[in-house]
Amino acid sequence: MTDYIQNPVLWALLVAVLVSVALIVRQRRAARTLRQEFADLRARHTELENGYAKSVEAAQERADEATKTVLKSAMRTLQGLAAEQQLIVSRLQTKYGESVILQDLLEIDHTNSQFGRRAQSIAVLCDGWLGRQRDVASIYDVVRSAQGRVRHYRRVEILSQVDFGITSRAVEPVALALAELLDNATSYSSPDTVVEINIRTVPKGICIVVDDAGVGMNDEERARADKLLTSERVSGVSALGNPPQFGFAVIGVLSERFGFEVSVDSSSPYGGVRAVLLLPHDLLTNAPEQKEPAPVVPAAAPQGRGGPEGAVPMTTTSDGLPKRRRKRPMAIVPGTASGGSGPARSGAETAAIMGAFQRGTRSGRATQTDPAEQSSSTRGASSEGHEFS
Amino acid sequence: MTGFDELEAQTPELVRPYVITKGRGLPDEEQLSLITLVTATADHQQRPTRLSPEEQSLLDLCSAGYLSVAEIAGHTQLPLGVVKILLAALTEGGYLVTRPPVQRASLADREILEEVLNGLRAKFG
Repeated sequence: MTDYIQNPVLWALLVAVLVSVALIVRQRRAARTLRQEFADLRARHTELENGYAKSVEAAQERADEATKTVLKSAMRTLQGLAAEQQLIVSRLQTKYGESVILQDLLEIDHTNSQFGRRAQSIAVLCDGWLGRQRDVASIYDVVRSAQGRVRHYRRVEILSQVDFGITSRAVEPVALALAELLDNATSYSSPDTVVEINIRTVPKGICIVVDDAGVGMNDEERARADKLLTSERVSGVSALGNPPQFGFAVIGVLSERFGFEVSVDSSSPYGGVRAVLLLPHDLLTNAPEQKEPAPVVPAAAPQGRGGPEGAVPMTTTSDGLPKRRRKRPMAIVPGTASGGSGPARSGAETAAIMGAFQRGTRSGRATQTDPAEQSSSTRGASSEGHEFS
Repeated sequence: MTGFDELEAQTPELVRPYVITKGRGLPDEEQLSLITLVTATADHQQRPTRLSPEEQSLLDLCSAGYLSVAEIAGHTQLPLGVVKILLAALTEGGYLVTRPPVQRASLADREILEEVLNGLRAKFG
């Protein structure tokens, strides 16, 4: 044993072991701190990365938002101008209805409508203004309005009519969405083919079916369109690609906001795309009265009109389809209508009549002394006023 | 109230006239002038549903008897040219018949009359 103790080798070994232990311990500690530092660094790195991504996103959002705001107000101006121009053109059309320039005025009108539609589409993507609210309109008129907003409107044919109207709120969006569908249909089919529109009543509402005889869409395009129409909503104009493709993005936004459905997943019997716009019941209403004859129609029309009466009672057509019933009879001769209300009064006469009326009501109020009756009448009047306001 | 009316009048029509005419061109003046008389053909049974509401209402207007183009245009709110285009299309489709206005009697040549007068005077005067 003592031999071992005195053996220098043993001591040397011992020292070596101690030194190595000390070294190992030190190394370990260093490694631990290093590891710790590394972990810290990594955490810091991810934090920074996240922060960076977030700030980039925020910046992009801000930029998008700014673009949207600018475009929105710019489009609002353009839409206003287009509407104004449309009014001017309408006035000119009435004024120069007899002249040959009417043809050119109609062309201008057409171009202007397309221009207005473009501005509207951009506005829709920027959460902007859709235009002035319309009155309730028949589906047929809404479809024709949409037809008038595309370049090749002559190639669009409406094959069926139904006796339904669209609520005033939905008139403009449905017309715009349908115009975008028609734009796609007419621009992706050859110029000598016809785009057919069928309007059908289905249990869920009314379907407007647009069939084109174009080349159809490939799977990729179809998937993109489906995504835009059902799930993914485009916000702003930055994701539209170059050249920008507005159509499905606009339709998607509109259908979500106003509650109708559009699908393009079937193909048309002519080989192209079949687009179906489904209007649910809550966007539908009774067909409005026809607008054109309205100012002419007097209450006293029925007498002396044997001719048209004979034609009207037919309730089904030769095809067996229900016939649209005219809700208001049409006057043949407007003279009797204006004759009913008497000849035009002069200003002095009118003033005299109004004066007599006022005197009459005043004297009526003065003589009416019964308080109960008076209060009831005033109450009635005031409630009426409330209702009105 | 007048403000509301004005606002109402400010809304452009939903269906533009060029859609109503389906982009057809104006008919000739000889074919349809302001005083051409128009009436519906007798067989109403053939009236198809494919006609637009404007065309239907024009047919209704014309079904009682002869009306002039100007009168018909007065009944509708459409520009005159648009009415003419629609009437021409309906005439082509066989739903309407037109009757050209009665030709104004052509005036006899004044010189001939004078010569006749002179001759008569010379003979009997």
